[in-house]
Amino acid sequence: MLRHKLRTRITAKVVALSTAAALLLGTALVFLIVAVTSQRDAARTAFRSQEALAAGGQLENSVITIENGLRGYVASGLKRLLDPVNEALSTYEAEQRRLQALVAIDPVQQARVRELEESIEDYLGLWARPVIGLASTDPADARSQFLSNPAGRARVETMRSQFDALYARERSFIRSREDRAESRSAYAIGFGLGGLALVLAVAVGFTLYLRRSVVQPVLTVAEASGRLASGQLSTRVPAAREDELGDLARSFNSMADSLQHSQDELELSNAELKRSNEELEQFASVTSHDLQAPLTTISMYAELLERRHGAEDPQDGPALVDGIRHATTQARALIRDLLEYARAGRGRLSLEQVSIERVVGQALEALAGAIEQSGAVVEVGPLPVVRADRANLCRVFQNLIGNAIKFTGEGTPEVSIDAKPDDGLWCFSVRDNGIGMAPEQSKRIFEPFQRLHGEDDYPGTGIGLAVCERIISQHGGTIWVSSVSGVGSVFHFTLPAVEALRGDDRDADGDSETRAHAGRGAELR
Amino acid sequence: MRRVLGGLAVLVGLALAIALGACGDDGGEAKTTGDEAPGGPPVRIGTKNFTEQYILGELYKQALESKGFNVKLKDDIGSSEITHQAMAGGALDMYPEYVDLLLSEVANVRVRPREPAAAYRAAKAFEERDGFTLLAQTPFNDANALAVKPAFARRHGLRSIADLRRLRRVTLAAPPEFRSRFEGIVGLEERYGLNNLKHLLQKIPRQYARLDAGRVDTARVSTTDGQLQKGSYVLLSDPKRVFATNHVAPVISRKTLKTHGAKLSAAINAVSSLLTTAAMQRMNAAVDLDGRTPREVAAEFLRENRPQS
Repeated sequence: MLRHKLRTRITAKVVALSTAAALLLGTALVFLIVAVTSQRDAARTAFRSQEALAAGGQLENSVITIENGLRGYVASGLKRLLDPVNEALSTYEAEQRRLQALVAIDPVQQARVRELEESIEDYLGLWARPVIGLASTDPADARSQFLSNPAGRARVETMRSQFDALYARERSFIRSREDRAESRSAYAIGFGLGGLALVLAVAVGFTLYLRRSVVQPVLTVAEASGRLASGQLSTRVPAAREDELGDLARSFNSMADSLQHSQDELELSNAELKRSNEELEQFASVTSHDLQAPLTTISMYAELLERRHGAEDPQDGPALVDGIRHATTQARALIRDLLEYARAGRGRLSLEQVSIERVVGQALEALAGAIEQSGAVVEVGPLPVVRADRANLCRVFQNLIGNAIKFTGEGTPEVSIDAKPDDGLWCFSVRDNGIGMAPEQSKRIFEPFQRLHGEDDYPGTGIGLAVCERIISQHGGTIWVSSVSGVGSVFHFTLPAVEALRGDDRDADGDSETRAHAGRGAELR
Repeated sequence: MRRVLGGLAVLVGLALAIALGACGDDGGEAKTTGDEAPGGPPVRIGTKNFTEQYILGELYKQALESKGFNVKLKDDIGSSEITHQAMAGGALDMYPEYVDLLLSEVANVRVRPREPAAAYRAAKAFEERDGFTLLAQTPFNDANALAVKPAFARRHGLRSIADLRRLRRVTLAAPPEFRSRFEGIVGLEERYGLNNLKHLLQKIPRQYARLDAGRVDTARVSTTDGQLQKGSYVLLSDPKRVFATNHVAPVISRKTLKTHGAKLSAAINAVSSLLTTAAMQRMNAAVDLDGRTPREVAAEFLRENRPQS
């Protein structure tokens, strides 16, 4: 089982193929080394054999010199003819030793040289020297011996044929070494080329194999990942293989399974959330709407009561009715603001290129009465064009500027509005010289119905800044305040610069945070 | 895939096998044996260049080898003059020589003792001057003689060598050294006044064929020749003793004797003592007439006679 698994593993296949290729190349290399060595050996042998041939020739020459000198001396009796003989007799032993050394590697040749040496010794000891000796005492006998006795000539012939056998073997040595070296280099070339071709074939085959059984499955998984990323969570890949790619496919499939599972859960809880939100909203608007009617009825009855019975108790009657009327007006304002807060950040944003200078102008127009009444000085700096919901943004400026005029101290209110770019955002500021607030209060003021002062000091429901916060959030910005109690406050908020808020005006339904995420995701994608 | 890998494995294996096969060297060459066999340095025995000498050489060689000596036989060297020169030059340790021939041709003693024992002593004394000596001489003697065909003898009334003087011209078949030897034309002219001899060089033993064919009138022969067994030839008597008795005694270097000791001379003398004229004639006939080799003949003789040393 393990063996089977190992054999099917890609790693095992790669290792096996590499080993086979390496062995093939190794074999070719061995052949090359053998061929080169053999050629070198052949060259050495050829050189040595040539030397042996030369040494043999020298020795043979000495023997012939002795025989010729001997013949001349015996025939003529001239002593000087023995000079070359004596010289040859003084050198032939060294020549023999040299020849013996040169054929030392071949026992057959060694034996032949030994036989030859023996023949030479016999020729010299049993023929040449005795004949010279005889010639000095009995020249006539020596002459007749030389002419009639075939022994000397037979010995010379024997040596000659021994020399020839020696030469023939050396020559055949040279030839056979050369032949062998040649055949070996032919083998080496053949095996080198064959090995190369085989390695090439293995490489091509392996590439095809990789493409078919490795690259293709990987591409399939990559493609499936793309589909998965684009939301097709039902995407799966075939995972029948037993190797590493099978493991990959199985991992991919289980990842897709768990993704789909999470997605299903998310969708389920989203739907749940949406449903409960809608119920709440329904409840709020129904409640607000339904509460208006009884309040209106209460005001109406209070008016009727004043009209009919105002004369009966002129002292307290009108005051009591006023109390009822005042309370209902307050309750209606509360309900109106509540409705406004509930709607803020819910409705669809209608994004467009908005000149903030104009939006501020509209807000100032709406506040014209209050400004005139308080004698406030409003200063507006240069303001950019951003992509935003005009009406909502107008509401933000109206609330902020209104607050700046309202929460004022002894002196004349001074309000300044500015904007400056900040890392892909526009940072707006609304500055006043009002009463300010303590630092610990600056967080709380953006929560609904949070008021720092009594209704009698500064009228209002405490919903304005909460509405601002919702709108800015919905635009993808943030809002905060920096303030010194008794000196004044600066309200800052950011909006994305025009380029940054691109392409997602269709999805204005979700809350701002979800939208921001989706935006980032889209950009990464 | 498995099949591909299997194929590759087979291929690689094959390639390696061929590579290794090609690497292996060709088989070993025949080994030659060392030349120092047991039995000490070889005893180099020389022989002169005719049948009787070949047989003597083989007899001594085989007898010594059977005693564990290492022997090298140097056959067919040439005449006594050449062979003795070879001995003197140190190329030989011993060779069988004819005692009277040694005296006349090597020692140049023309007036030789009549008694074989005296001749032997004289020859031995001569050899010992040169660092050699003679071992015991053989019972057989191999004298030179002149042979003629019986018809020729009858026609010319030939009995002794002196009778040849009556002929105008005598053609003689003999080896080359015969011309310059006392035991040859020199002695024949000196003692018998034979100046009508025409010498035809003839290698031994072809002189019999010449004689048979009538190409020559007479031929120099040896008294131990196998051809003489059947009475096909007449030997001319030698009243003036040109041709001496000629027992055979091995000439041997004293250094060799010293090296190998008494065992060597004993073995050689044991062989020599068995060699009677009849035995020698029989062996010569076996080689010259029956065409057997000297080696076989010698081996057979030693097998039958078992020399005791």
